[in-house]
Amino acid sequence: MSSSTSSSDQAPGTRKIYLRILLAIVLGMATALASVQAFVAANGAGSRSILGRVIEAQEAIPSIAGEKEDLVLVFGSSMVEAGFSPREFDRDLAEQGIDIKSFNFGFGGLNPLFQDYLSRRMVEQFQAQDRRIKLLLIEFNPFQTTVTRREGARALEESYIALLASPKELFDVFMKDPERGLRMLQIRYLRDGISAEMITTFFWGEPFEQQAPRTQLVQEEGIAEALDELQAELGKRFSDEYPDYDGSDWYYPWQGGGTIQSERPAETVALFNDYYRLTQTDFRKDNARLRRIATSDIVDLNFDPELVDAFIRIVNNFKVIADDIEIVLLPKNHRWIDNPPEALARQADVVEQIKKATGVPVRDFQKVESLGDEMFSDTTHLNRYRGAVIFTRLLAEQYQRTLRP
Amino acid sequence: MVFNTPIFLLFFVFFLLIYGVILGEKKPKLYFILVASLVFYGAWNYRFIPLLVGSAVIDYYLALAIAAAPAHRKRLFLTLSVVMNLGILALFKYADFAIESAGEFLLLFGVEASLPTLSWILPVGISFYTFQSLSYTIDVYRGDMEPRRGLAHFTTALAFFPQLVAGPILRARQILPQFHSLPVPTWENARHGFLLITSGLFKKTIADLLAIPVAHAFDGDGPVSLLEAWTGALAFAGQIYGDFAGYTDMAIGIALVIGFKIPPNFRLPYFAVSPVDFWRRWHISLSSWLRDYLYIPLGGRNNRYRNVMITMLLGGLWHGAAWNFVAWGAFHGVIIMATHYLSGLGIFAAFSSRSSRMMTVLKWAITFYLVLLGWVLFRATSLDDALQLMINMHTISGLPGSAPTALVVFVLTIVALIGMHVWDWFVIAKGDAFETKRWLFWPVLILIQAICLMTGEPSNEFIYFQF
Repeated sequence: MSSSTSSSDQAPGTRKIYLRILLAIVLGMATALASVQAFVAANGAGSRSILGRVIEAQEAIPSIAGEKEDLVLVFGSSMVEAGFSPREFDRDLAEQGIDIKSFNFGFGGLNPLFQDYLSRRMVEQFQAQDRRIKLLLIEFNPFQTTVTRREGARALEESYIALLASPKELFDVFMKDPERGLRMLQIRYLRDGISAEMITTFFWGEPFEQQAPRTQLVQEEGIAEALDELQAELGKRFSDEYPDYDGSDWYYPWQGGGTIQSERPAETVALFNDYYRLTQTDFRKDNARLRRIATSDIVDLNFDPELVDAFIRIVNNFKVIADDIEIVLLPKNHRWIDNPPEALARQADVVEQIKKATGVPVRDFQKVESLGDEMFSDTTHLNRYRGAVIFTRLLAEQYQRTLRP
Repeated sequence: MVFNTPIFLLFFVFFLLIYGVILGEKKPKLYFILVASLVFYGAWNYRFIPLLVGSAVIDYYLALAIAAAPAHRKRLFLTLSVVMNLGILALFKYADFAIESAGEFLLLFGVEASLPTLSWILPVGISFYTFQSLSYTIDVYRGDMEPRRGLAHFTTALAFFPQLVAGPILRARQILPQFHSLPVPTWENARHGFLLITSGLFKKTIADLLAIPVAHAFDGDGPVSLLEAWTGALAFAGQIYGDFAGYTDMAIGIALVIGFKIPPNFRLPYFAVSPVDFWRRWHISLSSWLRDYLYIPLGGRNNRYRNVMITMLLGGLWHGAAWNFVAWGAFHGVIIMATHYLSGLGIFAAFSSRSSRMMTVLKWAITFYLVLLGWVLFRATSLDDALQLMINMHTISGLPGSAPTALVVFVLTIVALIGMHVWDWFVIAKGDAFETKRWLFWPVLILIQAICLMTGEPSNEFIYFQF
């Protein structure tokens, strides 16, 4: 490095050198950022890859608002996504002479903090379309509201909020905390939702992450191979039976839910039965349980007060556009998830707090007798052609009085 | 406002635009640096701006008073400066520690006293700017430099934003003249500044990644295996170096881009071949400050062991108000004393003076091992935890549950440590030549910047901000 320095006070060339430095900074940063975007794009990442289902659901709202029937929405986590079948629900109610159209707004990977922003956007969209919802069921998911769950999503927090917040909300963040606000604006407008933390977690997360303990149970011989074969066959059949499916995560013809058993050929259903039988192993379920304990504190349920507050905000946000609104707790796999009395007491306290703060009734479906372990694909999600069907019918039965014109 | 954030980039671009392009005269430029520095500092906590400015104003006038006073009065003004600077430090940083320690001491005698604590927020950068300000009045008192007229110049030098919150601790004679001349960078200087900024960003990014295995070893609930304990200790060595040296590189680079020269604060510390050598390479501005203003005034080599111990204990305490920092300082005091003692013994004298490759490697290995043990004391949340981790590092135990993963993390940690030092060596030894190869220099810088933009951890505060 040269040790010479020129003297100051507007010597000729002073402005020029600083302009050159500024140009180097701006061009350098722009090139570096463009390289990041190119890398991210090359890896198929972007806002749609992380929030695809959410974005597609939001894009569907104008069409939903245009439906002539009364609307029912079930909003919640991946448990709703897996456990509620809109078309089954509509059909069951149609048999009762009730003409409605329901939609599945269950999204995996979100916690109430993110859902709060999503609910605000949904409310804005429905208000813009001047459309109300006849019945809105909001799932309260206890293990999604824990401290552990929130900590696990820290790396995603800014990205998710940056993508779900409105420009005004981002500006408010900026005014309150310029450092955070600018970071989020950058994530939203320059990085298509992909924060540095996300990339780090994706590429480096696994070796550095605390590994969840593995089950001590032994997997039966040949199960994994048989499952692989079945999955390949079911995948092939799906392609054949649904040639018009466009690959969306939130597919309008299915109203945000999934396929239904009644439209599948008998051989395919038989294959599914084989598939479900193979998934019902203690080895798989126990591993799922241990993973849920590690990532969500599903047994002890130590709630995060901020997430509980966020959930209360969600309910209050939705009140504006719903004629009837209820909070629901979805079925629990009691064989694998056995909460101690203290955890259940904590859950009861939180539910009571939510009831008081929102004035909205809470309906608890956690203990549905007919939904045993075999109705679940793991320790938390109902399987589509068994558990989801039973639960959807149960919902139709429970709410037909509310929905009758 | 942290260097590796978009908000700082925006701040810096606006700063350069106004300082370098819009403003022409020296005086407005000087005041603009001062205002920008106070804005930068105020972004953390604007309430402490008066403390920073007050320290500068008082020391500025005390330095003038020292220079103008007759010999028998000089000491009084110096004492005022020492009492003020160390008093501020004691009040904000050590008061609660002293009160709590007194309470614990009384407990030893069965006296349970609930002593009230202050619970004051620690102003960011206080340890750095008080030492910097204090060195000025001491230098003037000693006659090592003449006091310079210009309160704005002195205040701006003390508050200069690149080095305000985490050093290096500059001497007035190094930096003050530059605020009188306000040098304009040459393109070569600016280019070197960019290299240092990028280098710092690279090290900070690695440090943030290393924070994860560090937390696992030091903050985890479960037992830590031999492999995980070593990974944790090595990762912290990498984290604290990447974090602090990274910050310093960025500070020096930013200053260079503006036009100011700040001396280096690190020189490949993990290549040290003795504990004494380590302190010539690690946080040079602090170790030289302690040498010049504490160790030598205490008597230096006369009663060397006592003076080394006092210096290192206070050096440890400078880092934070906790017993683990004191223990860390004491540990370094002991190994420095041992180095001096052993190098005076016949057989060890021969060992320490031999410079064959084999000997150098052996000396390096011993030094690095000792430094690593020191970092365990530094990072652990309690002395018991530090001792437990040291035991784990030296106990053959079963592999952790996730053995392949742990091994991958161990290897990555070593790669990160070596990578940072190899890169630093490259910047020092080949940087000048590298900077002239434009076709390589700029793409490499942009590539590193892109990697840093792609990599991050949610918590990215600099460790040394808390000292």
